[in-house]
Amino acid sequence: MSNFDMSNLILDISDLNIGFSTYGQYKQVLHDVSLQVGDGERVALIGQSGSGKTVTMRAIIGTLPVPPAKITSGSILYRDTELLTLNKRDRNKLKGTGISIILQDPLLSFNPVLTIERQMRDVIRYADVRLGRKRSASEHQSIMQSTLRKVQLADTDRILKAYPMQLSGGMRQRVLIALSLLNNPKLLIADEPGTALDVTTQQEILTLLNTLVADEGLSLLLITHNLGVVRETADRVYVMEQGHIVEHGTLEQVFATPAHEYTRRLMDSVPPLYGKRVRTVTNEHDVQSAIQIDNLSKVFTRKTGLLRMQRVNNIAVNQTTLDIHHGDIFGIAGESGSGKTTLARMLLGLYEPSDGTISFNGDSVQALAGSEAFRRKIQIVYQNPGSSLNPKRTVAQQLSVPMIFSGERKTAVASRVKELLSMVELPESYASMYPHELSGGQKQRVAIARALSVKPEILVLDEPTSALDVLIQNTVIELLLRLRKEFNLTYIFISHDLSLMRNFCNRVAIMFRGSICEQGATESIFSNPQHAYTRALLSSIPVISDEEATQKPTVTAAEKAAVLATSTAVNQ
Amino acid sequence: MSALIPDKPGEAAHNAIDTARHLSGGQMAWYRFSRNPAALIGATIVISVFFAAIFAPWLSPHPESAGAHVDFMNRHSAPDAQFWFGTDNVGRDIFTRVLYGYRVSLGMVVGVLGVAVPLGVVLGLVAGYFGGRTGFIVMRFTDIMLAIPPLAMALAITAVLSPNLINAMIAITLLWWTWHTRLIYRIVRAQMNEDYVEASKLAGASHFHIMFRELLPNCISAISVKITLDAGFVILFGAALSFLGLGIQPPTPDLGTMVSTGSEYLPEHWWEALMPGLAILYAILGFNLLGDGLRDMMDVEL
Repeated sequence: MSNFDMSNLILDISDLNIGFSTYGQYKQVLHDVSLQVGDGERVALIGQSGSGKTVTMRAIIGTLPVPPAKITSGSILYRDTELLTLNKRDRNKLKGTGISIILQDPLLSFNPVLTIERQMRDVIRYADVRLGRKRSASEHQSIMQSTLRKVQLADTDRILKAYPMQLSGGMRQRVLIALSLLNNPKLLIADEPGTALDVTTQQEILTLLNTLVADEGLSLLLITHNLGVVRETADRVYVMEQGHIVEHGTLEQVFATPAHEYTRRLMDSVPPLYGKRVRTVTNEHDVQSAIQIDNLSKVFTRKTGLLRMQRVNNIAVNQTTLDIHHGDIFGIAGESGSGKTTLARMLLGLYEPSDGTISFNGDSVQALAGSEAFRRKIQIVYQNPGSSLNPKRTVAQQLSVPMIFSGERKTAVASRVKELLSMVELPESYASMYPHELSGGQKQRVAIARALSVKPEILVLDEPTSALDVLIQNTVIELLLRLRKEFNLTYIFISHDLSLMRNFCNRVAIMFRGSICEQGATESIFSNPQHAYTRALLSSIPVISDEEATQKPTVTAAEKAAVLATSTAVNQ
Repeated sequence: MSALIPDKPGEAAHNAIDTARHLSGGQMAWYRFSRNPAALIGATIVISVFFAAIFAPWLSPHPESAGAHVDFMNRHSAPDAQFWFGTDNVGRDIFTRVLYGYRVSLGMVVGVLGVAVPLGVVLGLVAGYFGGRTGFIVMRFTDIMLAIPPLAMALAITAVLSPNLINAMIAITLLWWTWHTRLIYRIVRAQMNEDYVEASKLAGASHFHIMFRELLPNCISAISVKITLDAGFVILFGAALSFLGLGIQPPTPDLGTMVSTGSEYLPEHWWEALMPGLAILYAILGFNLLGDGLRDMMDVEL
């Protein structure tokens, strides 16, 4: 439904050049960026972190910090108004009424101590002040009610009275969208919509955005790095790399026949869910058991109430039984709160199980935990290398900690550090660097090297690539596959990214509300999912080709209602 | 730092906006510092104060005035070419005594902070790292110490022992560590949520290693800013104690005592109180400007 028409543009950016001067250095971040959004059109701006897409967005809405930013040339036209030279007052009048933005993070974008009503009312009131308009409180009230209904929130009275923390993630995202719609904008800018949410909720939000654009006659500028999201919500696509628009065209054009080398690389790096490009990983070793999890449960007890007398039990992991084989890449999938991280922490001996046992061929984790033998058995790679590496210690210092405490001699440690760096394909000179001097992918390589420094048999990978861009993700995954082969490692891969799991794990278990609802060989789970939740999960994943979309399992509305909490009612 | 080797060509783009990454930490810090005129002035003042204190015997025009010297011919003489800051009630050169007074003040700073900071930092690390019951006991004890009015404490100690420099320093030290304990406790509690602490535990690192090799380096910038700001306050507090007669006893030149004695001759002989007062102001201003500059430079919150 591409209705791109050069004569009817709502947003016209041409030859925009923006640079930043920081610490006495000047760096140009946008190079001759041109981008058009037609009336009623959905346009996506795709790029990796640091490509300049956020700078573009902030230039449009006028929140670039000047200085350090400097707009050297170009123009941004909203209808026929030049935004870059517009005076502050007139520009402010466009906020929310002309151009509106949907913020990315449903957690951080609210003031936690104010009710939703207060936050919505403020948005209306300040728009009234800017436009010199006077409306009564009851008019405000009815606008809020109708806007909440627009984003398909049913119980509007209760939502208005609620504080942000009382709403679920999906509902908060809906309220965020409602906030941006309050003053009837013409152009909606969405910055990574739904990426902070679970995939099933994200799906609902994307559907909602599409409905809104169609029903309200809005134009949408979508800023994202997720190609699957783009495929479901855009008519036209711009691809940005290092501040240059390298390719643009209709969605069909760009996705079917990407012209630029960068776009092709980007498309290839997205792990496919179905089709020919899918890689099926196998475990060539015999099926010798490595970890036995038997009837494992973990209950967190929270004391609440005035005298801390009441006990609230939260069952994080419920009677889970798993058998992980030597050489497996065992995927544990689930959405946030499904208990997958708790399970991993019990494997590492960081939590005591409430019930059941974990053992490595007879040696129970509880008995081993903390010993040197245990450290040589199992190690972990964390999700965010920015947090798992100490910012004030050099790469070499961090890599040597596990060895020093395994009683290795200084000279042996130094040569082992070099060996580890070459294992993760980093130059030896990196040994003396601090984490902030490395990129995200390089930091994660250091974290992997540290986990491997005492030659463990099993690695727990806690979403090791979710903080990385998709191109970098692939290089890290390749590295992990190579290391597994070289050192006969067993991986336990915890993730919510099912597309990645399809291509990386040989066996998967799907966790749902603390229990494993389905487990088996990756191929069979993906081609023939049994549990309704698995099917709901798989059908929600945004994919990048029609071929994959048609192969996704179907799930009936009734099944969906049974397994998914809808975000349209107040969460208690 | 152009040596960054990208994982793939595209990764170089990560640094597009964050040009700061191309500078090393030290270069970046120096850039911020050099762009902060207040910090540069502060650094200059602090260096000049240390210089004055160290080289006092060579810099002072009338070195004999540093001790129990009496020159009735020149008592109460106003600032002139011979006596730059004038002379006091027994004819001693105030400029000379200010230079020597800095020696005492800085000696006090080093003595007090040299004991209080390590003590406070270690207690803060222990409380923050172990948390729980240990943390509770250490922090509540710290709170109790914080509740004691500093002057009352100093009065008590010097009354029980005797009023002299060492006892004044003991009194200040006994109260000063608490601020460092609280500061470090807060930082460590925040750092405990970082994965690297858990990673070190899983790597088998000892408590000592995690506290002093992993956590302490993350506190250093905050500690150094705090020390710089503290230095000014210790000088001020020491001067206050001497002003009350609880600190250094005559004839040792001390800025607080000089203000105290000089104030008896106000307003006719204004320089006798004003000059040592300005000297205190100068040193404290220097330390505070430098401390604020360091804080901006290292981006720490106190």
